[in-house]
Amino acid sequence: MAEPSEDKSTSERSHGTKSKKTISKTDSISTGTDIQGHQDDNFVKTVTMANTYQLGPYKRFPVTAATQILKDVLTAHLQFATYEVEWSQKMTKTLAEVIKSHVKDLGIPRYKYVVLVTIGQIVGHGMQISSRCLWDATNDTFASYSFKNSSLFGIAAVYAVYYE
Amino acid sequence: MSRVHTLHSIPVCVQSIEVTIGDNAYQQNRVNQWTTNVVEQSLSQLSKLGKPFKYIVTCVIMQKTGAGVQSASACFWDNTTDGNCSVTWENKSMYCIVSVFGLAI
Repeated sequence: MAEPSEDKSTSERSHGTKSKKTISKTDSISTGTDIQGHQDDNFVKTVTMANTYQLGPYKRFPVTAATQILKDVLTAHLQFATYEVEWSQKMTKTLAEVIKSHVKDLGIPRYKYVVLVTIGQIVGHGMQISSRCLWDATNDTFASYSFKNSSLFGIAAVYAVYYE
Repeated sequence: MSRVHTLHSIPVCVQSIEVTIGDNAYQQNRVNQWTTNVVEQSLSQLSKLGKPFKYIVTCVIMQKTGAGVQSASACFWDNTTDGNCSVTWENKSMYCIVSVFGLAI
């Protein structure tokens, strides 16, 4: 009497386990797809936010080299120029792009750059430019240079902001 | 600097310009003080927004004499998080241009 009851129980168990297995399989499939989805998200995140345990820049932004770049670029482009409106509109944009690419060529990793170029006519008027920054003064810095000839002035500034 | 954040910073700049300069005429000896005030006020208001950003604020004040001036910027940064806005303002005797750059930390 006891044996068949045991068989029944085992068979029930086996059924139970079978059914569980099938459920778990379907579960695993569904979770598998979910996991894949999560992995894709994580993959994108780890690329941007990989932990390097690096606390500061290995290479600081070289201010003197940047100032020299500004000086060279401004002098080369503006030395013999006279002020014209349309030319000046184009020139501010090209100068900003040229300076940006030169500064990028310095190859300092983990820095973001903002390049600001102003060209103006000289007619004996007053002008004042000032800037102030909210940043980490130990790693972030700037370089600026102003150029002047008889008809125009050019002012360029590069702000280098450390990005962790 | 999201789009909303940019829209927030424009009135901040305009307000700081109007408070410091208003209807004053261009005066050589006060311009230094004005640019400093505009930049400082804008920056303090921006920092009160409490966003995780580093800010660069520049202010140009130029006397109106019919002279031209052009300004352009080029940036190397993460376009999705960083942004800028600029405000041009004028009264009878001067132009004022304020540019704000916000870089995410």
